[in-house]
Amino acid sequence: VQQFPDTESHIHYAQLGTDVTLQCGSVDRDAAVTWTANSTDLDASHLNGSRLVLRNVDLSHSGQYSCYEGSSWHLKYRVNLKVGTPPKEPALMCRSNNYPSGFYCSWHMPIPTYIPDTFNITVMHDSKEIVCDMDVSLKNRCYIRYLHLFSSKKYKVTLTVTNALGSSSTSISFDEFAIVKPDPPENVVAKPIPNNARRLLVTWQYPSSWPDPDSFPLKFFLRYRPLIIDQWQHVELSDGTTHIITDAYAGKEYIIQVAAKDNEIGTWSDWSVAVHATPWTEEPKHLTTEAQGAETTTASTSAFVVPTTTSIGNSEEQGS
Amino acid sequence: RQSIQQTYDLTRYLEHQLHSLAATYLSYLGPPFNEPDFDPPRLIGAEAVPSATVDFQEWHSLNDNARLAANYQAYSHLLCYLSTMDGKSPVAMPTLRHSLAHFRASLQGLLGSIAGIMASLGYQLPPTPTDGTPPLRSQFLRKMDDFWLLKELQTWLWRSAKDFNRLRKRVPPSAVMLHLESRGF
Amino acid sequence: DGYARSCGYITPESAVVSLESSFTAYCILSDYCLDYGNLRADKVIWRIQTKVVPKEHYSIINETVSRVTFNDTSILASPLTCNILVAGSIEQNIYGIQVALGFSPDKPENLSCIVHQLQTGRKKYSQTCTWEPGRYTFLDTNYTLKSRWPNEEFPDCLGANNSCTSTAVVFFVDLEVWVEAKNALGIVESDRIVFDPIKHVKPLPPSNLSLNSGELPRVLKLSWENLFHEAPLELRFQIRYKIIDSINWIQVPLEDTATQRDSFFIQDLRPNTKYVFQLRCVTSWGEHWSDWSKEVVGFTAED
Repeated sequence: VQQFPDTESHIHYAQLGTDVTLQCGSVDRDAAVTWTANSTDLDASHLNGSRLVLRNVDLSHSGQYSCYEGSSWHLKYRVNLKVGTPPKEPALMCRSNNYPSGFYCSWHMPIPTYIPDTFNITVMHDSKEIVCDMDVSLKNRCYIRYLHLFSSKKYKVTLTVTNALGSSSTSISFDEFAIVKPDPPENVVAKPIPNNARRLLVTWQYPSSWPDPDSFPLKFFLRYRPLIIDQWQHVELSDGTTHIITDAYAGKEYIIQVAAKDNEIGTWSDWSVAVHATPWTEEPKHLTTEAQGAETTTASTSAFVVPTTTSIGNSEEQGS
Repeated sequence: RQSIQQTYDLTRYLEHQLHSLAATYLSYLGPPFNEPDFDPPRLIGAEAVPSATVDFQEWHSLNDNARLAANYQAYSHLLCYLSTMDGKSPVAMPTLRHSLAHFRASLQGLLGSIAGIMASLGYQLPPTPTDGTPPLRSQFLRKMDDFWLLKELQTWLWRSAKDFNRLRKRVPPSAVMLHLESRGF
Repeated sequence: DGYARSCGYITPESAVVSLESSFTAYCILSDYCLDYGNLRADKVIWRIQTKVVPKEHYSIINETVSRVTFNDTSILASPLTCNILVAGSIEQNIYGIQVALGFSPDKPENLSCIVHQLQTGRKKYSQTCTWEPGRYTFLDTNYTLKSRWPNEEFPDCLGANNSCTSTAVVFFVDLEVWVEAKNALGIVESDRIVFDPIKHVKPLPPSNLSLNSGELPRVLKLSWENLFHEAPLELRFQIRYKIIDSINWIQVPLEDTATQRDSFFIQDLRPNTKYVFQLRCVTSWGEHWSDWSKEVVGFTAED
């Protein structure tokens, strides 16, 4: 690491767990100096002549180190020590949530380096490089616009991360259709249906990020369960954005979620935000003596309320 | 009374069928062909297989005739090639052979359906390949061609599903039915 | 020359005769017989098996040809023989033919096809077409099921017991099918039907049914496994249930089970009661319900 013999603040990167020697700028090796770390004096045991030696540094060693001449407290050199690690292989993921407009790639460092990293991404397809436009709002993300559709050739994305202590890269290759994963459906609403104790009407909308529902229709997967039961029930719906749950347990609050997928390709979206609803229940009657009598009669006969289903004799009804 | 809706469903059905068929065939071909990241160069043999790739804007602006013709031409080629697929390499597994034969018959049905719709809309059928048999090549190169054929076929079926989804919304069924009846079908 | 030379013959050589039309045969005497025994056509006696054919059916064409005609062919039988009186009193057989009686085939009616999903084996479906042949023809009659796409003919399927089964089933493509009935007396085709085999699929019934009462009283959750998987097709279901000893099935309304699913909550049941359930399915495009599944029995929880 090169030293700069002036009192401007310099940066010195050091790998975690290594020994670090800081030189006091251009001061003579044997000159008497004083070192401070973040304005705290360091005792002589760390000194080797005018050089500061730090053993097996850790993150706490990061900070500003200043070197003063003898006892005159004349600042001779200042350095900002940043302890970190060379980058390990970054995690890279590409996904198309707005097919067929394009896809984005995003990355993160599974193991932090504690020092500034710089990223370089290249996207190759059919032996040509494609521009990946950095996202202005989201860090570590860039966006690729599809110039061609329905390609059988893989895309190859290479991400190189570099910092002062080293660099690392990772590559993924994928087919155009494999990374299509819509965002979850939006505006999921579940409502009871008046006069029907076992139905819930669920409606939802295409994710707003899905650009062309007409040409690229989505299918949906709806799951629902009463709050008191852990197991979900599932229904797959090939088109449309509405469904009537027909076997809701009377009076029980339900939790409902929806997911989406392109009709042909890619994977299911994450589940939508969960919504809750309770099927319609009859208003409790105003209990007067008369009403109470009637209620009792009704109650006694309702021990076995024939469900709104059709009862068919034992004659085998030929299906086909 | 082959309708565009039927043809749309046929492409989706075939696309679904090909998923399992291709996986079975590639595992029959063995490594490296059945490895997910296998991405071989596309050799001359495979170039004969028409690519489904199309410019983004161009695809959106294709008129119905061009859209149908592209599909027709693609499947004419692909069928030619598909019929040679298990001819050369000894397809040991009867189940795979049966699935291939059934898939081919369905693809032939798709080609006929597209031709029917084009004729009913008054479109000319594009020229079809005269000799689809690929040149004699080594076993490895043969497998490479098969790999690319399956990949291209999968891509075409995926594209066709989108093509016919657009067509079924743009072309009124009556336009197709009217002509079909006039052809005495 | 050691062999008795034939004195004549009958034409037609053998006959398949329609019960709906007349029949004429000719006995033609050879010149050899004319010279040998002065055997002339007027000496010919026709017999059906052993019975003599009444004279009014005969007519002499010339001295060597006797003709017999039957307007009502139902009296005919095999053999029909041509015989001649030799030396005035000995009847000598000259020739005989086999006569087969019957009808030309009726136009096959009510042609219909169903595609069965197969339980096992490489072939997943088999298409069986059946028809009504019409009257019995009494003759060897071949029924051939023909099928084609607009630009492709398929191999004939030789019918047996008025049906034909093929395992080459292609979905989502309209198939034109008809029956050709053919015997010695005629050939006729049925009306042609055009259909998409997918609409005629009879799926296998759901399997692995299970019932779960769970924590909710008066409720049973029916779960099952679907055996029919042909995207983009989906299934609709029909569920019926009854208390174990009851004879009356209760049916869940069809609209409640009209989407692709593998479970359903049945409610308002009697607590602490043993129920039996069955279910069947039909494809979203189909017209043929599967058979009912195996029954599954379950108990509702106590209140």
